[in-house]
Amino acid sequence: MVSPIYIIAILLGMAFMLGLLSKSGTRIAGILTSVSLALPVYISISWFIQILSGNADAITIFTAGSVPPFSINLVMGLEEAFFTSAINILGLLGFIYLSADLKKQGVRAMALYLVLIMGLNVVVMTRDIFNLFVFMEIVTIAVAGLIYLKNDNQSKEAGFKYLVAVGIISLFFLIGIGFFYFYGGTLNIDGFIAANSVVVKGATIAIFFIIISIILELKPFPANGWALDVYQAATPGVSALISSGTATASIFVLYKLLPLGSEIWLQILTVVGAVTFLGSNFLGISQKNTNRLLGYSSIGQVGLLMMVIGFMPQLGSAFKMIFFSVFISHFLAKAGLFWLSGIVKKESITDWGILRGSNIALFLFGIFLFALVGFPPFPSFYGKWQMVMELAGTGRFIWIVIILLGSFFEGLYLFRWLGYAIKGEKSNEEKLQIPWDKIVPPFIFGISLFIAAYYANSMSVYGNTINLIPLVFILLLFVIDFLPAYIKNTITIGAMVYYAVNLYPSISDDTLRVVFAAIFLIGGILTMIAGYSVKGKRKGFFPFAVMMYFGLIGLIEAENLFQFFFAWELMTLGSYILIIRGKFSMKHAFNYMLFSLGGAYLIFLGIAMSSFGNTSLDIGIIGLSTMPGWSYTLLAIGFLTKTAALGLHIWLPGAHAEAESDVSPMVSGILLKGGVFGLIVLFLAMGGEQAASHPLLYSLGWLGAITALGGNLLAVFQEDAKRLLAYSSVANLGYILFALAFMTNIGWLSALTYSINHFLFKTLLFLAIGGVVLRVKTHNMYEMGGLIKQMPWSFIAVLIGIITLAGIPPLSGYAGKWLFYNAVITKGWYFQGVLVFFAGTIAFLYCFKLIYSVFLGQPKDRFRKVKEAPIWYLIPQFILIIGIMIFSARPDLVLKPIGALLTQSSYFPSDSLSWENVTASTNLGYWSGYKIMLVIGVMFAVLLVWLMYMSRKTQKVKQFNIVYAGERPFTPETTHFSHNMFSHYYKALGFLSAPLATRFWNITNDITHRIADGSKRLYTGNGQTYLAVIMAYIIIIYLIMF
Amino acid sequence: MELVKKIGFVLLGLFIILNWGLIMSGIIRKIIARLGMRRGIKVFQPYINLIKNYSIRSQISHGVMFYLGPVFRLSGGIGIFLFMPLIHGSELWSNFSFTGDLILIAYFAFFGMLGMALGAGEGGHPYSAIGISRGLAQFTAIELPLTLAIISIAIQYNTLSISEIVAAQQGGIQNWTLVTNPFATVAAMISFLGAMGHSPFSVVMAPQEIPIGPPTEYHGTFLGILQTNRAILHVIEAVLYMNLFFGGATNWGILILKSFLVYFWSVFVGMVFPRFRVDQSIPWLLKLPVLIGIIAIALLII
Repeated sequence: MVSPIYIIAILLGMAFMLGLLSKSGTRIAGILTSVSLALPVYISISWFIQILSGNADAITIFTAGSVPPFSINLVMGLEEAFFTSAINILGLLGFIYLSADLKKQGVRAMALYLVLIMGLNVVVMTRDIFNLFVFMEIVTIAVAGLIYLKNDNQSKEAGFKYLVAVGIISLFFLIGIGFFYFYGGTLNIDGFIAANSVVVKGATIAIFFIIISIILELKPFPANGWALDVYQAATPGVSALISSGTATASIFVLYKLLPLGSEIWLQILTVVGAVTFLGSNFLGISQKNTNRLLGYSSIGQVGLLMMVIGFMPQLGSAFKMIFFSVFISHFLAKAGLFWLSGIVKKESITDWGILRGSNIALFLFGIFLFALVGFPPFPSFYGKWQMVMELAGTGRFIWIVIILLGSFFEGLYLFRWLGYAIKGEKSNEEKLQIPWDKIVPPFIFGISLFIAAYYANSMSVYGNTINLIPLVFILLLFVIDFLPAYIKNTITIGAMVYYAVNLYPSISDDTLRVVFAAIFLIGGILTMIAGYSVKGKRKGFFPFAVMMYFGLIGLIEAENLFQFFFAWELMTLGSYILIIRGKFSMKHAFNYMLFSLGGAYLIFLGIAMSSFGNTSLDIGIIGLSTMPGWSYTLLAIGFLTKTAALGLHIWLPGAHAEAESDVSPMVSGILLKGGVFGLIVLFLAMGGEQAASHPLLYSLGWLGAITALGGNLLAVFQEDAKRLLAYSSVANLGYILFALAFMTNIGWLSALTYSINHFLFKTLLFLAIGGVVLRVKTHNMYEMGGLIKQMPWSFIAVLIGIITLAGIPPLSGYAGKWLFYNAVITKGWYFQGVLVFFAGTIAFLYCFKLIYSVFLGQPKDRFRKVKEAPIWYLIPQFILIIGIMIFSARPDLVLKPIGALLTQSSYFPSDSLSWENVTASTNLGYWSGYKIMLVIGVMFAVLLVWLMYMSRKTQKVKQFNIVYAGERPFTPETTHFSHNMFSHYYKALGFLSAPLATRFWNITNDITHRIADGSKRLYTGNGQTYLAVIMAYIIIIYLIMF
Repeated sequence: MELVKKIGFVLLGLFIILNWGLIMSGIIRKIIARLGMRRGIKVFQPYINLIKNYSIRSQISHGVMFYLGPVFRLSGGIGIFLFMPLIHGSELWSNFSFTGDLILIAYFAFFGMLGMALGAGEGGHPYSAIGISRGLAQFTAIELPLTLAIISIAIQYNTLSISEIVAAQQGGIQNWTLVTNPFATVAAMISFLGAMGHSPFSVVMAPQEIPIGPPTEYHGTFLGILQTNRAILHVIEAVLYMNLFFGGATNWGILILKSFLVYFWSVFVGMVFPRFRVDQSIPWLLKLPVLIGIIAIALLII
């Protein structure tokens, strides 16, 4: 084992040595510097491994061969080894990244760099408070020097402000040290603690000055204007060092010094951290400047770390794991993002479309963002989960709200940024230049995130319950992304089939789960078949499609709430990327993400509240919640964001309509059922039939009814075929919500029938319309017309789809309607029910508009030669049609077992549906799908034959051969009655379709952004103001404490 | 054997209903003419029209769906007939009502409407599409009072089976829904006006402005089928209301009388009131008739 003192020796020695090399020797200097940065990496890592594995103990080094107080002592323990390793790895990679810039500046810049890394190492290791001060000063000066690397006015100004601000902070630190020595008689931290000097009156003032200056070093909100200017002005490579390096050292110093102070410091730290996390992320939401935005995020993350430290006693044994996962996510992701920012060289996040020039860079960018926001499987997901659960265990819900709100704001601006990167404008002339030395560091950090994720997973108490194999499969799909799409498609379908076959035995006794698993997996396979029509590589599609489906299946497989939430987040992430792939999807995908994030955090909070007072995390604990009102409501609203209940629906139309042709059915017919399944889980946990009179359900019933009405009404007034279908989904999910809220046997049967039907017909319709859109290249129905001749198969598919949608017998839609009537009357929700039936008749309007405007009426000249939709689109459509036919003729095959499950499992024992062969009956009425189909089929056939006989001499005529007062119509465009088809209806009921929800969210959004913008005026850019804020901050904390 | 007998009676019933429908429409048109101080057509004119239309040799088609439209339409009409019990207490005259209940009939009505809409749509005539869009729009509002009435009587009789509803009304006029649940009856009868397409809800066909709307392009056999359907549908819809609100029928004589009176109600109103535009009829239907329907339910649940 190499003594850690050599870290200092090597770095400092080389820094001096470099001075001897002439300017012409920058190349050699560069190599020497790299080597001397690599050695400390080896030293610190080997210490870390040895101590971790128990082969070595922490050592204390006394310099100058003497003991404190006459020497400086350094400690290399597990924590020190970890943090120095992090710093040294960052130092090495950061140097590789910066080497080109540093070389330009000459060897002195390299020396400065070495001094910085050396300083950070000592700051971590030292146990001597004065020594700490000295090395913090060294770090400050080195950082300031590196800020000047950029050599423009902005960075000079920022560097100066930095020096002044940190100078003032050091001043307080120094005063603190004075008091420290005066009261403690030692400069050694351990000595001070050992002497129990804390209790000495007056020592508290020493501690106050010391700790407050460390806190200020961590750039707490709002005393951090100087830091933001630095992040913005410095070259990104340096910002990476500041964000991940100095912040790391400072946070460790804080951790190290905390034992000096009393308990109250922990509380102060919690408050400071919370204010910083929330405030900084809040101000970030309207930020467009890349590096400044990263600055806000950095400061926010450090705030979160402060909170974690502040909650140390409450977090108990989980502290280490939480700290590790939050820290490592921030450390790796933030450095990585700053580095990428240096590659992209765009000041505004709106110009980041250029990142698409490189797959690797885009991939890394994505995972860094996901890691920061805390999506699974990245470490911060585990960390945040554990932290929230621990806090929930002690009832600290306000703090949880702060954490989630801050995370939400952070997600908001990060995903806006991601949106610009994936979909933003990109000029073709500009090419992204990626030298290897710039991409290697972020690449290594990106890979490290996965390794860290693995460790976070194994450290987390819930981690071992997560099935990581599908995640590995997703990663594998990234690796083989260079292959043609059809190969990847086949692999994906194969994997899904394999998964389905393996899954079935484990859930076969739970029909409810089987139904949803079938929707997710069979639906997934069918929609993937359509993907065969895509030529080329279809980069980045498959991993996320699999992620979404795996997330959905994970919901079904989840045994506890952790797994459930894990799957929920995966599903959200996968579907977001799928949605944003559409040509004009940027805005809509962003809206989707906002609502999904908001919804996910509500679910998270709901889970946390349910877990209060319960020891396990079984799904059933929702029902045992000690705060049932809160838990139920939060969870319900969370799930409703996914099912797009009215008011929370505004993301859906755009997201579904603008998605790619084969993605729309995935996110509409299938994904929405994820939310439905969530509601099912919630309602079952609430206690099935016993909960039927719960006031929440009553309001959800009304909400469902209003959603059904609103969705259908809005669909009627659409001109865009896919938007029409999207609004129709809103309405259908309204039906499902309404029926679920009944909490009766028949109500649930009708909800499940609706779910199955909606899956069948909406996937069918979206595929069919998607196929048409592929051919005609427009979504506007009035531009189409008469396509039945060119696309007869698509027409049949749409016809079957709308008959099912409208609930016309003999197809299965009617089963849903019939069950519905029975459920409404048994439950006694007459008026809500009437609203829903009214909505049902409105559905006819858009069903007709859809099929008529697209396939019937007058064909347009420019579409005379279009071909039928691709065969790969038609195959899944006809499989779905077969599905509809079977479900229509023999609904008992599905409904009987579900009914049996609902009855026997004591969820809904009473008022069940009884079956006699194929005839279903309730207390009220009866219905026999099979016989109805038979009667109608025979009759239809007889009449058809008769008509064919009677009109056997019919001639076909040309397009314009119609009864038109002896004249010919002018053009197909003026003869095709389609645009604004229901203007009269709009005149009568249009007022009901006023976009109130959109207006509400726009205003909310506007106000939030304005407040954030307004608050940013605090950061005037004036150094004096910054100092005043720092002073005020100290005074306020002082007043709070004493 | 049972099945053959059943089918025999079903076909016989259909034959009776069709003929009664044709005669009834003749009578009604005669009455309308006389009210308008005209001599009017012969009572058997509908038969003549039908025979003429079925005999026309030259026919044109605009495509498959155009062809299928009338088949859908007639299937819709006959389908409702098939699922409707005609004579109370008679197993043989109950058709196939054992396969489904009131809800089936309520929803099967859409089958014909949809098919017709599509067929007419392929005809390519803008007036057809205008007529359909008006029809569908107005229809949403027409259904609402009926839905309220259906729910009201389902609560009242605790069943959705038409046979049972009829059975519950036996034993004199005091047991009819008309008397026991007048609000539901009123709401439904207003809805009936809309369903029959006479003034004030005749904007769908509106012969004076969009030459008969949806069927504009149909002629010959196609039109014949549509006329056949109309004859059946008018009677069977009247039978439905008769079953639900006016005690049903225990023999064919009563069925003919009651269905005539029910149907005549729509003619009577149509003669007195002028036509609504769609954007007038919808708000009108959604106000008073819906309120009456709500009262019908509210009275039962209080």
